[in-house]
Amino acid sequence: MKIYTGSGDRGKTSLFSGERVGKDNDRVEAYGDLDELNAVLGALAAGLPEAPPGGRAELQAIQSDLLRIGAWLATTPGAPAAESLPPIDPGRSIWLEGAIDRMEEDLPPLKAFILPGGHPSAAWAHVARTVCRRVERRVVRLAGDPPPGEAVAPLGRAMIYLNRLSDYLFVFARHCNRRHGIADTPWTA
Amino acid sequence: MDSVSRDLRIDSFVARILSRRWLSPTTFELTLERPAGFDFQPGQRVRLGSGPNERDYSIAAAPGDPEVVLCIRRVAGGEVSAWLSTAGIGTELRGSGPHGYFTFKPSPRPAIFVATGTGVAPFVSMARAGTKGFTLLHGVKRAEDLFYRDLLTASAQRYMACLSEDAPADPDVFAGRVTRQLERQVPPVACDFYLCGRREMIRDVTWLIDDRFCGSRVYSEIFY
Repeated sequence: MKIYTGSGDRGKTSLFSGERVGKDNDRVEAYGDLDELNAVLGALAAGLPEAPPGGRAELQAIQSDLLRIGAWLATTPGAPAAESLPPIDPGRSIWLEGAIDRMEEDLPPLKAFILPGGHPSAAWAHVARTVCRRVERRVVRLAGDPPPGEAVAPLGRAMIYLNRLSDYLFVFARHCNRRHGIADTPWTA
Repeated sequence: MDSVSRDLRIDSFVARILSRRWLSPTTFELTLERPAGFDFQPGQRVRLGSGPNERDYSIAAAPGDPEVVLCIRRVAGGEVSAWLSTAGIGTELRGSGPHGYFTFKPSPRPAIFVATGTGVAPFVSMARAGTKGFTLLHGVKRAEDLFYRDLLTASAQRYMACLSEDAPADPDVFAGRVTRQLERQVPPVACDFYLCGRREMIRDVTWLIDDRFCGSRVYSEIFY
């Protein structure tokens, strides 16, 4: 099955809400970076065991959340198409908090900055974390234009989710190192 | 018309074939029993078949109709459409749906529907559900492929049939592709475009919109 139309060959694309925009548009940058985050999570998940905490199933649930958020990023606030989008559930951020807490139970307290790395799964988690922060910055930019209001409320929920996901991925990286018997490497100034 | 409900669920179903009506030598309307609890919005699709042989078909019925009607072209070498073109009445089909977001989104801007071939099916569903006042360009190769013409003419503010192969005998039918008529017949203002059909049409019309209809919205559904 061919997936291409070629309609984007001249540098424009259609948002989910129908507007034709340049592929360097802020909204496209945002959902493009989100797509990158999702791909990095896929690479991370590919090497993980299935079971929680910190297993493949958990990351795949996050990947589904990101697709839902991506649809909102691809939609101009207040556009008619927004009516057809499933809402971003604030409960998913709370679910992330629970997952963070469960992983932290087995981790030694953090007393210094640590160097990203260690086991390959931990290294990938750090890569995902930094991409997640970039997505968050993109969403912050989108939410500020137009001014915050009801129409951009989904972006507010996305920001909370992404902020929590970055924290999750930091703890996830430590959890991966712990699972493989690798100690975090503290930063020595 | 309401836009897609956020609560519409995608479910698997089994539905029997109730009837088949040929619209042209290559295209038929397949009527299925409506699965219990199955709800959809005009413009959405169902997926029929299983595994690698699944295909999506737009629903041509209105949500209020008692049955699910599909408009299907028998594709040369196509497994699913060939099977559906001969499967016996009463055959149980496995499927899922509704799928897709190609639904009508009311706005103050002119609505321009552009279809090739059976890509007209979602617009038939919209018309049957009461959508009116749109401009529709339906591109087909031959006049015999202008199915649903009466229905669409009645609902549209303007219906433009475009024949890419046959020379039109009817003065109300245009010769050439839909892009040509879109450029000639539709004023260059910001519109809401709904494109459904072959990839080449989607590409060419989208480029034309970029060049000529600045500020428009474009919603598209590709028929593979």
